[in-house]
Amino acid sequence: MQDAGAAWKGYSLAERDRRWTAVRENAAKAGFDCVFVPLCVDPGNLRTSSAGAQGVRADCRYLTLMENAAVVLPADGRPPIVINDRGRPNEWVADPRAAARESRRSWAQSMSQALLDAGMERARIGVSGLAGGTVTHVRAFDGVVNHTAYAEVLRALPNARFEDATDVVGFARYVKSDEELGALRRATAIAEAGIDTMAEVARPGVDEAELYAEVTGRMLELGSDHYHWAMNIGTFDKEGPRYTEPPLGRRLRQGSFITNEMSAIWAGMVAQEVQAISVGPLAEEWKPVVDLTMEVFDEGLRYMKPGTAFPDLIDHIASFSRDGMRASVGLHGRGWGNDGPLITGRAPLEKVRELRIERGNTWVWKPHVLSADGSIDFQWGGDVVVMEEGGETLFRRPREGVLCVP
Amino acid sequence: MCTVTLESPAESTWKGYSLAERDRRWQRVRQLAADAGFDCVFVPLGNGHDARYLTEIETAAFVLPTDGRPPVLVTDKGKGNAWISDSVAANRSWPRPMAQALEEAGMERARIGVAGLKGGKLSHVRSPDGVLVHGAYEEVVRVLPNATFEDATDVVGRARFAKGDEEIECLRRSAAIAEAGIDELVEIARPGADQAVVYASVMRRMLRLGSEYYPWALYAGPRDGPEPARMTRPPVGRKLESGWMITDEVSAVWGGMVSQEDQPILLGPIPEEWKPAIALQREVFEAGLERMRPGVLFGDFIDFINGFGDQRGMKTFVTMHGRGFGDDGPLLTSRARGADLRDLAFEAGAAFVWKPYGRTADERISFNWGGDVVVTEQGGELLSRRPIELVSIT
Repeated sequence: MQDAGAAWKGYSLAERDRRWTAVRENAAKAGFDCVFVPLCVDPGNLRTSSAGAQGVRADCRYLTLMENAAVVLPADGRPPIVINDRGRPNEWVADPRAAARESRRSWAQSMSQALLDAGMERARIGVSGLAGGTVTHVRAFDGVVNHTAYAEVLRALPNARFEDATDVVGFARYVKSDEELGALRRATAIAEAGIDTMAEVARPGVDEAELYAEVTGRMLELGSDHYHWAMNIGTFDKEGPRYTEPPLGRRLRQGSFITNEMSAIWAGMVAQEVQAISVGPLAEEWKPVVDLTMEVFDEGLRYMKPGTAFPDLIDHIASFSRDGMRASVGLHGRGWGNDGPLITGRAPLEKVRELRIERGNTWVWKPHVLSADGSIDFQWGGDVVVMEEGGETLFRRPREGVLCVP
Repeated sequence: MCTVTLESPAESTWKGYSLAERDRRWQRVRQLAADAGFDCVFVPLGNGHDARYLTEIETAAFVLPTDGRPPVLVTDKGKGNAWISDSVAANRSWPRPMAQALEEAGMERARIGVAGLKGGKLSHVRSPDGVLVHGAYEEVVRVLPNATFEDATDVVGRARFAKGDEEIECLRRSAAIAEAGIDELVEIARPGADQAVVYASVMRRMLRLGSEYYPWALYAGPRDGPEPARMTRPPVGRKLESGWMITDEVSAVWGGMVSQEDQPILLGPIPEEWKPAIALQREVFEAGLERMRPGVLFGDFIDFINGFGDQRGMKTFVTMHGRGFGDDGPLLTSRARGADLRDLAFEAGAAFVWKPYGRTADERISFNWGGDVVVTEQGGELLSRRPIELVSIT
């Protein structure tokens, strides 16, 4: 693993143009005159989950590489109008507008003006982030758009039609480019370094806050942006609480069982690796469950070829259930944050019924196996990209379901 | 001067705020809401800071009737906590449960005060358009057509402004953790150091002490060069160099209270010509502490600080912002000059990061050092323990 000084220079202008073209094409197909990414809410105030927070302003990052921006992208090929807080440019957008002349003023007027300047007074405007989508904002059922500024824009353009276009941007994000795959590969490697650190530090008596801090520190020093990665620390008999901050009042002990969602970010791409760690030997009754999980993991990789429907993948994985053990899909998209599809125990599956796997899709693939008596629910996985031959893992660690440390 | 023991997080006995603290907050918000003529205060989805203040749960919606009836809480999975035993489950779709909570509280025809609809003077100060999620909030308004919804950000903001004793203790600890982060920074900031490693080490130190993650800000560049970029994530591909100036805003979080400590560090000797600005800054810092008493108007305070340097042939400039559960006010910076804050008075228990500037007359040299402060009857009490000085690493 290289240090953070690696020669990353940011995404190319060709990548920018690829994204803008893909979004324009999707918008035109859907009959929109433009795509509008309005001011979205503050992820520090809306942390429905780690993924949810990361996804709040993902569309503006995807289109502008800016942390917080509003975008009007006409479908007919004209350049976008971009608004950010102070009108500061970056490598992709040379001339953004400032949100307001004075500090701490509403974005509404500048967003309305941008739509008017783009000739959208009577247009059909596709709004990204207005509701949860099929493959983006998947946990944000109510969308991510800031209410007060957006309501004012609606009032300022009474003759325009505003409709949800979350999937217009979403399906552009769904298929990753080579540059994005390169970034996700590196994010995955950083997350694996986090797992290595966890395995090194996790010992009986260790303060769990220290464990969280050491892992986080390792990923940061490798250049990852912060992500509220999750760990659960319990025992084989009882799953522990989920922590996305340093736990207080707790130490590891012999027999502690750690599960995790180890996430790192490089160039905006969020990786997730899932690797259970046992402080002590693995309980005997877990072994068949772990073995089946690893088997199902590889079967899933072989099956996830371009063109495959998600319901078929779900059924295929379920067909590996045996001896009372039940296998099921655990999968969600990887990319700029809150990516889909989302296939978990909680997620409604209507949205993926018609959805097919495409080359260049990325997700964390983490199938579950539940023991016959329901007392053990095991999951293992990592980042995967879909190629012609099926899923290719981006991680390098061995297929060891549970890492046992002394 | 207080002492804060930083035991390891595993030994921490902190279990959250007490029920007495809950009641103090609810009572204050109810009183302020009643004064403003609201039948209840409604904290919708998106307003995590106020939700945490009133419920100890960040992802929540909350209805607090003004007349003393029990509140109604909405959470994603319908769980309660030590403060509120049960809640309505949203299951990721919040409009109906939020409307249900208002209906349960009898607010179909009420005047509802909405916290977070707009930016306030004392909270959500950097969010002029508020923090609410359109898809969730507009549906609630639609479902209750006979209710009146109005902004009440300052109702909760005003309650948050003056901290309770438990909050002050948490802020004290939070400030001590941030100072430990600064100790780490001073220890490892050397010419040639990878900035990402520096960033990570400071964060690691604070997390090891049990802080929640809060992205601290690092500015590093040549001493006499243009203002460097603000980095709130590990800087990639950058090393520190000899002669560089490091400024920072090191924040920690304990019990939800966000502290901020600002410690300038020079990777080289302090030039003689800098010393008057540094001395002036210390002087204005201390004069500001002395002046920060309950009842003093911010307008008078701003004028005093901004005029302080004149008599010395130099310049001083007020910079401060509230500390608490996040995005606290008042906000006084170079971009927010406080014209709308002049009639606001300091209150006992108000907490700030106090970081005024001292500048040479030609403004070529500008220095600020900052730390967390709580207002007491005797003036501002500095929670930081390190000296007010420029750290020089040679």
